[in-house]
Amino acid sequence: MPQEAHISVNERTFIQDAIKEQVRLDGRAFDAFRALELTFGDEYGVADVQLGKTRVIARISVHVVTPAPERKFDGVFQIITEFSPMASPAFEVGRPTNAEVVLSRILEKAIRRSNALDTESLCIIAGLKCFALRADVHVIDHDGGLIDASCIAVMAALQHFRRPDVVVEGEKATVLSIRERDPIPLSILHQPLCVTFSYFEEGELFLVDANLAEEQVRSGEVIITMNRHGEVCQIAKYGGATVEPYALFNLTTLALQKVKEMSKFIQTRLDDDAKKRNASGLLSELSAENDRPFDKPVG
Amino acid sequence: MAPDAVLSHLHRADGSATYTHNGYCIIGAVNGPIEVLRRDERPEEATIEVNVRPAVGVGSPKERHIETLLHNTLRSIISTPSIPRTLVQITLQVHSLPDEDSSTGVSPSLTLLPHLLHTALLALLSASIPLSTTLTAVLIALPSTNTPTACTQLLSPTAIELLRAKPIRSAHVFAFSGEGKMLLNESDGTFSYEEWDEAAEAAEEVCCKEDGAVVLAENMEVDGREGENLDGWLRSVVRTKVEHEQRWKSAR
Repeated sequence: MPQEAHISVNERTFIQDAIKEQVRLDGRAFDAFRALELTFGDEYGVADVQLGKTRVIARISVHVVTPAPERKFDGVFQIITEFSPMASPAFEVGRPTNAEVVLSRILEKAIRRSNALDTESLCIIAGLKCFALRADVHVIDHDGGLIDASCIAVMAALQHFRRPDVVVEGEKATVLSIRERDPIPLSILHQPLCVTFSYFEEGELFLVDANLAEEQVRSGEVIITMNRHGEVCQIAKYGGATVEPYALFNLTTLALQKVKEMSKFIQTRLDDDAKKRNASGLLSELSAENDRPFDKPVG
Repeated sequence: MAPDAVLSHLHRADGSATYTHNGYCIIGAVNGPIEVLRRDERPEEATIEVNVRPAVGVGSPKERHIETLLHNTLRSIISTPSIPRTLVQITLQVHSLPDEDSSTGVSPSLTLLPHLLHTALLALLSASIPLSTTLTAVLIALPSTNTPTACTQLLSPTAIELLRAKPIRSAHVFAFSGEGKMLLNESDGTFSYEEWDEAAEAAEEVCCKEDGAVVLAENMEVDGREGENLDGWLRSVVRTKVEHEQRWKSAR
């Protein structure tokens, strides 16, 4: 299997020297993301994210299974990331590379274990039937920043997805198709998003959203996952660069700003898409969902 | 409607194509010729590797079966002796399927196969892999009727058409080379030899007749272009690609 082409010594020193002089190869500021583009498919739950040249597609699908016996009231939620040779010839099918393991672990921590999705809402009949939700992440084009792009794709797809409605009569549950009953959005508790900081010069300089060449040159990375309310979901650090503990506070402040921008962007795109789907304004009539009053909790 | 194709839109892969037709959307990428593993190396020809990735989930035996079919068909159109001891890596990612695909009663690997073949060919063209010929493929479905003589063939039907014509008695996928030679035939269901022969003839018309306006489906002539068959479509795609690549020459 072909190896990933290593970056040459000349290129490496060039990028490093340029960064020392406060210049990035593509002319971005150190704390700037590449152009972000998000499109939704015709179906519910397909999000296509383009971050510069990186392109990731996330697809949510659902089916009915028996819940695990030790978790009778919970549905199943899985995130599957499998790289294909499409993104790079060095990615082999069935043999995960280091990047793939890191990506799936971070997404697991950031989205699944931070309880972004309320899995209890996927339960149909306790102990007997529940929805199994899976998010497939397809990396189509790879130019660095896979973690950030995948996280945006999965969260946008989750917010876009509508699961079919069910009718429960005693022990019998009937899943109603999209034609019979308007499908229901998932209950999402918060929207975590990842921001990757790449460290250079043994922890003196850092970049936001490094591209592939910068990723190959960096000496370490810090991945911070936050939601727009400023709650940190996870912090991961890979590579050898030393990072001062206090520097992490600065990073979280910066990450919060980026996450707020990205959440806002995702929300505008979701609203646009909803408007497009609901051109006649009849969708609210079809909804079987009760309005949830958002009162202040007592106390 | 003629299929829709976008070529060379991915940055990492050597060649790539996105193909959309009748609600099927497939992204194909080709890397090659690249270094091959020692154990797969062939001294006098190139090794071909095909990966089909479903829209949902990881590959199953169904995908492995399609990969074998694609591998055998593509091996006969790629000019493997001209790039010996190398690897041509073809990845086909199914992006979306029509909603009705699973309920048509026709094996989903058959309905998908012509689209995968076209995507693979377009990606190979985009990667400039030496080919000995081109390829076009079509799905033909024979709905079950009471009078077998009056049965109408469905040429390259959409999923909704298949659903309406249910039950489908047999489905056939034919692939023809640029010279009009049959490269692949996959059939499913019950059919007589005469029916198969008729289907093969109809498929040949759709795929590779050079002249004479052959109607691909009932609503085909809306485009108003002459000789609308798959060969003509393929030529127009390649012409657009070449025009795009040669635009530096025509610019003044």
